[in-house]
Amino acid sequence: MRTGKLVRWGVPVAAAAVIGAAVAAGPVIAAVGSDPVLPERTASQLLADAAAAAERQSGIQPMSGTVTKTASLGLPALPGADAAGGDSPLALLTGAHEVKVWYGSGERFRLALPGEMSEKNLIVNGGQAWLWDSASNTATRLKIDLGPQAKHTPPTPQPTDMTPQQVAEKVLADAEQHSTVSVTNTDQVAGRAVYQVSLAPKDPSTLVKEIKVALDGETYVPLRVQIYAKDSAEPAFEVGFTQLSFAPPAEENFTFTPPAGVTVKDQTITGAELAKTDRMDDMPALKTVGQGWSTVAVVPFELPSDAQAKQAVDSFLKGATPVSGTWGSGRLIKTKLLTALLTDDGRVLVGAVTPDKLTELAGSR
Amino acid sequence: MSTAEALVLPATRTSVTWRLLRSELALTFRRPRNLVMMAILAAVPIIIGVVIRLVGSEGDAGGMIAQTAGNSLMLTVVSLFVLVPLLMPVAVAVVAGDAIAGEAGTGTLRYLLTAPAGRGRLLAVKYLNAVLFGLALTLTVATAALLTGLVLFPAGDVTLLSGTTISLGEGLLRVLAMVGYVAAGMAALAAVAVALSTFTEVAIGAIAATVVLIIVTQVLRAIPQLDWLAPYLLPTRWTGFDGLLRDPVPMSEIWQSLLAFGAYIVLFCSLAWARFTGKDITS
Repeated sequence: MRTGKLVRWGVPVAAAAVIGAAVAAGPVIAAVGSDPVLPERTASQLLADAAAAAERQSGIQPMSGTVTKTASLGLPALPGADAAGGDSPLALLTGAHEVKVWYGSGERFRLALPGEMSEKNLIVNGGQAWLWDSASNTATRLKIDLGPQAKHTPPTPQPTDMTPQQVAEKVLADAEQHSTVSVTNTDQVAGRAVYQVSLAPKDPSTLVKEIKVALDGETYVPLRVQIYAKDSAEPAFEVGFTQLSFAPPAEENFTFTPPAGVTVKDQTITGAELAKTDRMDDMPALKTVGQGWSTVAVVPFELPSDAQAKQAVDSFLKGATPVSGTWGSGRLIKTKLLTALLTDDGRVLVGAVTPDKLTELAGSR
Repeated sequence: MSTAEALVLPATRTSVTWRLLRSELALTFRRPRNLVMMAILAAVPIIIGVVIRLVGSEGDAGGMIAQTAGNSLMLTVVSLFVLVPLLMPVAVAVVAGDAIAGEAGTGTLRYLLTAPAGRGRLLAVKYLNAVLFGLALTLTVATAALLTGLVLFPAGDVTLLSGTTISLGEGLLRVLAMVGYVAAGMAALAAVAVALSTFTEVAIGAIAATVVLIIVTQVLRAIPQLDWLAPYLLPTRWTGFDGLLRDPVPMSEIWQSLLAFGAYIVLFCSLAWARFTGKDITS
């Protein structure tokens, strides 16, 4: 009887083990089954290869895939982040988000933001662009009118605005001066062998432990960016492909005909408006203090006069720590990756630095 | 065992299984409780349809409501979306949770086991019965919604979530695929409920435990810090049928969900089997 019992309960245990192994080992099996390991490269060799590849291909190859962004910054719950919906800029600071990307050759791409029972789409085909929102049942025809005196080439939105490419280029630019750079060739992203470039800051006063950028081993397209905070094994911020194919996507993805019965709107973006967003004219005067990894942005700040907004800011600041120094006093908010200080004389200091460093920098004007 | 016996026996076994399943199905679909549940759930699409017809056509109602008012097929999608997270699982849990515990509670389990069926087969029949109830329930809801939609709203091309337009015929095919997907999700839940049902002799205990599990997983899903857990929970997968309304259909995600349902079925059916075949039947 005893052995019989053992054998019987062995079946569900075995089933659980097999399922657990399948869940855990999926990526491992994919890794074993795919291409051999990439040849070793130093950081400079890798960057040169990447630059050469970019020149040769003159742009990105056609591809499609899913980009996932996860952020666990340890932020206090943001007021309004839930109410604002899943795709508001505030909501993007927390949790996981997914964007589907289809990129054809030339200026043709489609981005889809799937929601539960809804979808937002941006479809760009040459000079024509459509914005489709199934939740509000509206299609917006976007026209880019640069005006006669526009000199610079139209800043066509690239899928790279949403892919890790842009982020990666920024990160690689000022690398070696302030960081230790290393390259590994054993990782995989979305089933593809990648070079993983790691930047570890030399500055002890920054909260960033490491930034990892994964470059596709074949096309050198950045596939993933991860930012690790100190004292944390999981990335605090990650954006990258979870699924990727370099097969040219189907042409249907780049055409859009507004369905019958939907609201069709027209919106023209003029060259002046684009230039403005490029230069961020309406941003308050931005100043930085500090150097390298402990660069801190200083922005003048005024409590909003609008009662509702004021309430939101107040409730957000409730969790802030009061601090003071020779420079005055203020309130400090610390997350895993960023520290922000709101001084009583109307400045906001934000940087990826420890609270001590930030309060020290608050003194230097 | 002689050759003749070996040839005859499988046929007899199959026929026993069929007889057992037929009688189970007859009991299930004659039971007033189950019929009332099906009728109530079938009424939901009718109510939604009438309300949208009366209210939705005026003003600038957006999204799903506007689409429902514009196309008869969309009512099916909306109805499934409303019912799948809680009400349909509860109905399936009532039938599946009753499977073994109900017989034990009324003292009929030992008589069932005197039939030359064997415990494993009885369990399989009970589970299959619950799965078929789930499928019938989904079909009933979908049919009620389709008919209501056809009566109240114009039929014609269907607009997908991605803004693509497909023909009515293809739309119907997609609705059929949705019914299959939802029924598979309900089958996964039925496995959990049948497993719980083998652990108790009080049917209401197994049913309540299943419903509590559904609600707890729904709550866990709502906690942002537990995002990593969500893909492994059944309710997250249940509403995944909205993928069939996208263009292109994200097949990899749909297969993943079906695999997850399969994993639940294998795990909980084996648990139920291990428990039930070794259980002392006292009632």
